[in-house]
Amino acid sequence: MSGLSIQNVKKSFGQTHILKGIDLEIPDGEFVILVGPSGCGKSTLLNCIAGLEEVTEGRILMGDIDMTYAAPKDRDIAMVFQSYALYPNMNVRKNIAFGLEIRKMPKQEIEEIVDRVAKLLQIENLLDRKPSQLSGGQRQRVAMGRSLARQPSVFLFDEPLSNLDAKLRVEMRTEIKKLHQRLGTTIVYVTHDQIEAMTLADRIAIMRGGEVQQFGTPQEVYDEPANIFVAGFMGSPSMNFLRVEVGGADGQYHVLVASEGHTYKLPSPPTQADLSAYVGKQVILGIRPEQLTHVMPHLESGPFVTKVAVKVEVTEPTGADTLVLTRINDEECECRVHPAEAGKPGEMMDILFNMEKAVFFDSETEARI
Amino acid sequence: MTTHNAQASVLNENKLDGNRMSTSKRSKGIDYWLPKLVLSPTVAITIVFIYGFILWTTILSFTKSRILPQYEFVGFEQYVKLFLNDRWMGALANLAIFGILFIGICMVVGLVFAILLDQNIRAEGALRTIYLYPMALSFIVTGTVWKWIMNPTVGIEKFMHDIGFSGFSFDWIVDPDMAIYTVVIAGIWQSSGFVMAIFLAGLRGIDTSIIKAAQLDGASLFAVYTRVIIPSMRPVFFSAFIMLAHIAIKSFDLIMALTGGGPGNATDVPAIFMYQFSFTRGQLGIGASSAVIMLMGVTAILIPYLYSELRGEKQ
Repeated sequence: MSGLSIQNVKKSFGQTHILKGIDLEIPDGEFVILVGPSGCGKSTLLNCIAGLEEVTEGRILMGDIDMTYAAPKDRDIAMVFQSYALYPNMNVRKNIAFGLEIRKMPKQEIEEIVDRVAKLLQIENLLDRKPSQLSGGQRQRVAMGRSLARQPSVFLFDEPLSNLDAKLRVEMRTEIKKLHQRLGTTIVYVTHDQIEAMTLADRIAIMRGGEVQQFGTPQEVYDEPANIFVAGFMGSPSMNFLRVEVGGADGQYHVLVASEGHTYKLPSPPTQADLSAYVGKQVILGIRPEQLTHVMPHLESGPFVTKVAVKVEVTEPTGADTLVLTRINDEECECRVHPAEAGKPGEMMDILFNMEKAVFFDSETEARI
Repeated sequence: MTTHNAQASVLNENKLDGNRMSTSKRSKGIDYWLPKLVLSPTVAITIVFIYGFILWTTILSFTKSRILPQYEFVGFEQYVKLFLNDRWMGALANLAIFGILFIGICMVVGLVFAILLDQNIRAEGALRTIYLYPMALSFIVTGTVWKWIMNPTVGIEKFMHDIGFSGFSFDWIVDPDMAIYTVVIAGIWQSSGFVMAIFLAGLRGIDTSIIKAAQLDGASLFAVYTRVIIPSMRPVFFSAFIMLAHIAIKSFDLIMALTGGGPGNATDVPAIFMYQFSFTRGQLGIGASSAVIMLMGVTAILIPYLYSELRGEKQ
């Protein structure tokens, strides 16, 4: 077993630069998720790690060994593909055994491994079926079984769950997490689904346009996003972004928001940002919907909590909470309130602005202040 | 008065409804009968000219017919005569040589070309068209062209002599032992491009991540093709085989144009035998029996194919 070190990896096709210098240090046994919108280069990076595509520049190390130009089969990695990529002409048993047979492992040993893997993934009863006779979830298991059989030092997953229906996806997500906890093997997992990223990862690398925007634990990227892109990408419903003016002095700063003719001063916690350079200027306030709640007495007295009267535009019940869409500073703003407390469209209602976890972004660079 | 009117209108409506119903019934009748009416001439023609003549030929094969059909039945006498005829046995042997080599080499050449074309090469479209183009020619043209190319006094042999290789010899077409192989060459030239197109379509249907997965599993490119891709193209092989097999059994025009069945009877095949016995040598009975044997050959290939196709549809 070994960690993975990606050093300044670049990949270009002619003049098109897909990866613009990626640096990731992945310790042994970590579950890392590459997440980002389509075309951000996450799958290309995975293919580069697998050796299916050659990097233009940079190095890829596994343990201490430079694997940048090693053939895929020499890298001791296994990959699970979005389309499962099972061999259609072989039954499940052969599919799992193929990689071992190619490596000329003794028959006896292969059988033992296949049985062990099948037991682990609960596919013993499917071993003699062809891939075409399996459901999506079963194919997914077989694809995982095939990669498990070789006991590689790194697993690569390329959007493995995106072809499954929603319920099965949640089940398989849990299974993958359990599997990682049991095996403790390094995993690099690509997805465009931020919920998958949050739930599975030890650390998340958020990518955009061939660059890593932030590499941190799920809680870090959620609470302390590096920039507006990361803040907007992680979390559902998305974080609210409001253009606000900064006021105050001597370490006590506030931002101004307007709703229905009234202006409110929202205090900025000094732990969140140093706004001294921005007094009198505009910044972008990032605040998640769950920080904008209905009036709860035990919260109301908090030092960074302000009651704001807003007009309800649209309500979206989700069951546990109701999302209330309103307008603040003439920009759309979503609040998460208790279903019983939600106003009706057109009505006014009081919302508590809890600034404890608010973040601020420079309005030009979009980086976090 | 008003109630009366109302009643009347209700009655009217009922009547209208009745009318509408009858029209709809009639139009349904037209919908029902029109397709059958339109298709019936084709069905009739097919029944008479294909199945009818198959039946007639089969009947004739059991009669003593010579130049003209006659209906004195002699049981399997014509079949016995047929299989005692050396020329027929020679034709069958030729068909075996031609069939095996033609189908085998076409498949190999087609597959190799398809795999090479599948490596994301430049100008693939142009190459594909070039390889496929012989299929656009009729076998008569192919036969005539190859007759000239392989003719020792005008073709390759003369060309090699002209550029100085005076010892060069390529006279298969006039050599009774080798002439059948010239038919194989021309047939392969004509059909392998088509087989390539079928295989290429099959290769394109394979998910590229399967190839990636096999590479990660440690398979070489050769192993990827021999152990994963080619085995998973079994239906494509089957289709290609059926196409080539019935071309081989029915082959007539290519051989007529290329060698005329000669030299002597060296490139005789069942189709030529059947044609000559039926229509130029006045042995309609033997000709008919040879035709029935050929039909049985084609059927033996097609029935399993149709069976697997239809069974596949049901699933």
